[in-house]
Amino acid sequence: MSRQRLKSDWDWWLIGIILTLMTLGVINLYSAAYNPERTFLFDISTLYGKQIMWIGMGVFLGAIIALIDSEYIRKLTPAAFAVVLVLLIIVLFSRPINGARSWLGFGSFGIQPSEFAKVTTGLMMAYLIGQGRLKVIPKQTVNLVLLVVFVTMILVLIQNDTGTFLVFSAFFFVMYREGITFDPIILYVLNNLLGLRYRSTWVGVHFIPVLFVVIFFSIVTLYYAESTHSYAFLPGLDVPGWSILLTVLTLLALVIFFLAQQFSAARAKRKILSILLITYISSIALVGTVSFTYIKVLQVHQKDRIDLWLGKLEDKDGKDYNRNRALAAVGSGGFAGNGYHQAVLASPQSNHVPESETDFIFCVYAEEWGFTGSLLLVILFTFLLIRIVIIAERQRSRFARVYAYSVAMIIFYHFAINIGMNIGLLPVIGIPLPFFSYGGSSMMAFSIMFFILLKLDSQRKEVLAT
Amino acid sequence: MTPDSRRVVFIVLFAAVGLIYSLRLFYMQVVDDRWIERAAEVSQKRVSVKPPRGILFDRNGQKIVGNKTYYNLMFIEDRIRDLDTAALAKLLQMEFHEIGERFEAIRRSLDRKTKDKTTGKDTLVNDYRRYMPYAFLSELTSDEIAEIATELPNFPGFYEEPTSMRDYPYPNGGNIFGYLNEISGEELQADRYFYRMGDNIGRAGLERYYEQYLRGRKGTKFILTSARGKVVDNFAGGKLDTHAVQGPPLHLGLDIELQAYGEELMKNKLGCIVAIEPATGEILAMVSSPSYDPNIMVGARNIKKNYNELLVAPNKPLLPRPLASEYPPGSIFKLIQTLIGLQEGVITENSSFPCTQSMVGCHGHPTAQNIQQAVQFSCNPYYYYVTRRIIQQGKKKNAFEDAEVGHRIWEKYMESFGLGFKLETDIFGIRAGRIPNVEFYDRWYGKHRWQWSTIRSNSIGQGEVLLTPLQMANMAVIMANGGWYITPHFVRSIGEEGPLPEFLEKHLTMVDPKYYPGVQEGMRRVVNEAGGTARQARIHDIVVAGKTGTAQNPHGKDHSVFIAYAPFDNPQIAISVFVENAGFGGTWAAPIASLMIEKYLKREVTDFAKEKRIMEANLIE
Repeated sequence: MSRQRLKSDWDWWLIGIILTLMTLGVINLYSAAYNPERTFLFDISTLYGKQIMWIGMGVFLGAIIALIDSEYIRKLTPAAFAVVLVLLIIVLFSRPINGARSWLGFGSFGIQPSEFAKVTTGLMMAYLIGQGRLKVIPKQTVNLVLLVVFVTMILVLIQNDTGTFLVFSAFFFVMYREGITFDPIILYVLNNLLGLRYRSTWVGVHFIPVLFVVIFFSIVTLYYAESTHSYAFLPGLDVPGWSILLTVLTLLALVIFFLAQQFSAARAKRKILSILLITYISSIALVGTVSFTYIKVLQVHQKDRIDLWLGKLEDKDGKDYNRNRALAAVGSGGFAGNGYHQAVLASPQSNHVPESETDFIFCVYAEEWGFTGSLLLVILFTFLLIRIVIIAERQRSRFARVYAYSVAMIIFYHFAINIGMNIGLLPVIGIPLPFFSYGGSSMMAFSIMFFILLKLDSQRKEVLAT
Repeated sequence: MTPDSRRVVFIVLFAAVGLIYSLRLFYMQVVDDRWIERAAEVSQKRVSVKPPRGILFDRNGQKIVGNKTYYNLMFIEDRIRDLDTAALAKLLQMEFHEIGERFEAIRRSLDRKTKDKTTGKDTLVNDYRRYMPYAFLSELTSDEIAEIATELPNFPGFYEEPTSMRDYPYPNGGNIFGYLNEISGEELQADRYFYRMGDNIGRAGLERYYEQYLRGRKGTKFILTSARGKVVDNFAGGKLDTHAVQGPPLHLGLDIELQAYGEELMKNKLGCIVAIEPATGEILAMVSSPSYDPNIMVGARNIKKNYNELLVAPNKPLLPRPLASEYPPGSIFKLIQTLIGLQEGVITENSSFPCTQSMVGCHGHPTAQNIQQAVQFSCNPYYYYVTRRIIQQGKKKNAFEDAEVGHRIWEKYMESFGLGFKLETDIFGIRAGRIPNVEFYDRWYGKHRWQWSTIRSNSIGQGEVLLTPLQMANMAVIMANGGWYITPHFVRSIGEEGPLPEFLEKHLTMVDPKYYPGVQEGMRRVVNEAGGTARQARIHDIVVAGKTGTAQNPHGKDHSVFIAYAPFDNPQIAISVFVENAGFGGTWAAPIASLMIEKYLKREVTDFAKEKRIMEANLIE
């Protein structure tokens, strides 16, 4: 490996975007956590000083990774995954901070294993999928991948870290890209348990489009599940919303059933009816599950967040305090922003926006840089994501491609959820904005994540096509 | 769709989210103004700033009512952290249990009764708010706060706040200035715009009368506050702020040195002195004895401590006697009877009546040959005759009906002399005195059951006639001016604006000015000629004109009365002196008046013997 080749194969676009984001992130944190008594950027007692230290450590760890041959990275994957998995288990015995057991403390210094688990789970999934040489991924591999993802997710969920838990669902998108189908599982249920005869289902293959449909119907369900309606023809009776949804579904099914009976060919009739029946049952199951989860399972504060997001609840100065102040900060930035260090709501001195150094750091940026700055940030992230997809698609190794998609989806989740909640499009879910939010573990994990991606990409031509 | 072509799904997803977020940001930040308004609502606070009250100056430009900074120890319950009650009690030199009681008392003081809208019943509502500042201790002096201030940082949630309170450089004029006290619930309801809970409001005297001027104009400050309510910055660099404007200074006609001198003279005596500048109606001094030092009524703590004490003290120091005490005027009343007689044409300047002592007692003096002598000798029978002619003018055959007609005429004259109604000066608490009218006697004796002889004591200022010392002084003003007066008042100018318009208006009496010189000459003789009743009021180089009175007092010793003005040909000061239970008017009231006149006109008193006699006299049994 000549020196020249090593240089030419790094993706400078990706490096450029990341460096830009990191620089903006530090500049923004210098304002968001500004301490007038300690204005030195590298002062280690301030958050910006610390963040620079974390970046330094991330770069240091990344540089070590960059020295490792990508084949070794692949080979080390199971060990790395195992180590982080053990940490995820150990962390369950830690003292909860803000209700979540996600911190592993070493003296005054703490790390969050779940941040690193994002990297290792992505690697592990890539490792498993990359093992096969066939286009079609064997059932066994699928089961292993699912096991890896679910075990990690469950461990994070037990930590009571809902945000990070959600991020792990990013891996389903990666599976979708790799053509993993849930057909075997679905067909087992349909054919063996229900006695039907299907060879394939559309749902098992296209689970991501289905996911979006499910999300849409879930939101509709959340909207109506708890509400009650009264009707003139049903005097003195309060009808719960979920029962109306079920009634509508049933009526819809009956109409389709009637139409199918009348107009379809006799041969197709049976198939249409069974699909109808399955869809109907699944829909009812969905409405039931979502309603039940929403009303009975979710903790009060989680339910409130959803209600506030859907506008079912208004409590500007109480439960909706954080979100309301965040929206006011973003919205009051105007076109050009208040100017650097000029945030009124989100400044650390006025502190109207809580968590403005971590989960709500976008508020500081949006208030100070206005729409122009915000647009730049959204464009940078979008370019970053698309660039990662381009990188992923040019890999010869399946391991590298799966990993690259994992990185893309994790960054996407963080970007979409964090900014989405800062602009009121999503409910409040506490996860950091990559490169912007203060946090040692996430900063280091993202650095390592990108160094691995860059390293794998730089050696893409040395790998034989699979 | 093969798995490889699914890359499109990702690119579309990322691009779509990027686009949606950009549009949403554009809408929030550029199109929709709602969030800018919300941000302002959250972070900007309007704070009203109270100016210090207007200052009071005397006629020579001496500051007589000023302001002094005191401190309130404030707290906000929400910000109190880990309160060490024992340490706080020690710091504030209170008992341990008093701390909790104080918190409770503040909370309870904000209980408010209100009618429940649905039930219509009175319910108790508490207006106490944990996030609002309240005064834990108020009105600490700068010395007191200095002891506490260094320790205050150890008690988060507590802080000091300066507050402006009254300060009186002279210990005089307690009954004139009034005092300030915390606003009551009803007063708060009446003016919600200006006042806030805990504000002070003028309670008596000039402070109350001129409240709307003295309080000034509130300013507004727009500030940016932090989430915890701390001030972070001025909003818009203070461009939108309006300044608090202090109330205009009140320039008083009062001469504080004369006032102080008068209070000194009246020590150990009950009664009052009222001195007025005749040409303007400005009150030069208004002594009420006994009185109190206005400084003991500054601040809630002092008021709480001293008010009740003053209220129950012997001889009522809180009572503004010159305005609120009604006395029989005695012989000074004869001056007006003379004038009415002349105007009605029932006597002439040279009318003479015998000193018929069978009718009413008199003191030995030659028969008065004219009105000058009648005034000079203060002949009682003479005025019986004069008033009989006024009341019984013979317009009706029946003596009783005739008295009614005559009395009605007489009442009208009284009113034109400022008697029998409230002489609306610029202090509250004024009383009307009493000039009995026809209805009064009809009620008393029955209609047409009385005539002059029934009510003849009024002729010499006894009987049912009552005057306030202010009215007596105003009578001296009328004599000095020769037939007119301006309602006596304290404030000659509000800022640069001059006095209130009603204090520029001349009131004429019903007696033609041409009849005055005779009576004035009589008054000159009272003081300056042998046989005059007020020889003690003489000043060797100033011509004083006056009239004594000795008001008979059924409850004890007679009251000593004297009204006067000086100098005779160019009156600068008109004065009334009333000393309760002191005896003959010429003995006490007259010399006191002359000392006041000399002090005012010459700034110093030369007759030390007279001064010494008055100062040393104790006329309170």
